Amino acid sequence: MEAEPGAVCPPLQFTPTRVRLFRFSAVSWNSHRIHYDVEHARAEGFPDVVVQSTLHGEMFARTVLRWAGPGAVLRRVEWRNRATAYADVPLTCSGTVTTVREADDGHLVELTLTETAADGTVCATGTVEVHIP
Amino acid sequence: MTGDPLEEVCARAARLRGRAERVRLGEVTVRDLCRYAIAVGDDEYAVAARAAEAAGRTVVAPPMFLTGILSWEDGPPEDELRPDGLGAHESPCTEGLPVRQVHGGQAVRLLAPVAAGMTIHAERSLTGADRKRGKTGDFVVLGLRTEYFDDSGTPLVVSEESVIVLGDVDGG
Repeated sequence: MEAEPGAVCPPLQFTPTRVRLFRFSAVSWNSHRIHYDVEHARAEGFPDVVVQSTLHGEMFARTVLRWAGPGAVLRRVEWRNRATAYADVPLTCSGTVTTVREADDGHLVELTLTETAADGTVCATGTVEVHIP
Repeated sequence: MTGDPLEEVCARAARLRGRAERVRLGEVTVRDLCRYAIAVGDDEYAVAARAAEAAGRTVVAPPMFLTGILSWEDGPPEDELRPDGLGAHESPCTEGLPVRQVHGGQAVRLLAPVAAGMTIHAERSLTGADRKRGKTGDFVVLGLRTEYFDDSGTPLVVSEESVIVLGDVDGG
């Protein structure tokens, strides 16, 4: 792990399967039908069921933690949804270090992140701040 | 109520703005944390969490757990959900209106670790409502702020999120 501006976080790839979307809706008690009812999603203008916004944030957090290594602690996770992501379409989260400063016996590292669908559509962008001992 | 549902959303938001709602969400269990982790594909977390529990060690939550949970309520019953499946609490200012909503994004500040056994409280408020014009029509961006605390009042997490309210596909 190299924490200096310009360093790149290894991409995290995942496919939000229908089962994953259903289970995430269930565990988060999110009954919004656009996430599991394809007929309803189509009635709202979507071609398929929609990936939950908070799942984008979760995957940004995990992308950074996997890179940052043991003992790293997230301080801040921010993201904006840029385009809708759909079930069964592979997504890739990638990040780049933007700033590093000394803090609390370690470093406070900020990264910008992008989540991109298999066709190149940027679904979410964000910023994560992590303390690395 | 006005004839314009988005104007009505803004009017309701103006009445709610600045009012904070405090609620006791409940106790976090190891099962809650493991189910969350497995649902997002982090199987290793669940194995480590159960091992920590068996060894009598503290089980710290995945960092995005609190803000990942949309609702901590038991309900509402199915017949009280909006047609899109959301409960009134998750869809502020829109009850009975021909609108739909999507999430715009979120900023989460993590102030202290959350662990199994903690009882979580939250204070939620509506911070703003901005009507905007997009390529496919008008929409309203609602700002929501939620602060999470433990039993002693120690701040754990602060979340600022935006919810985008759009007119109905059928012309609202």
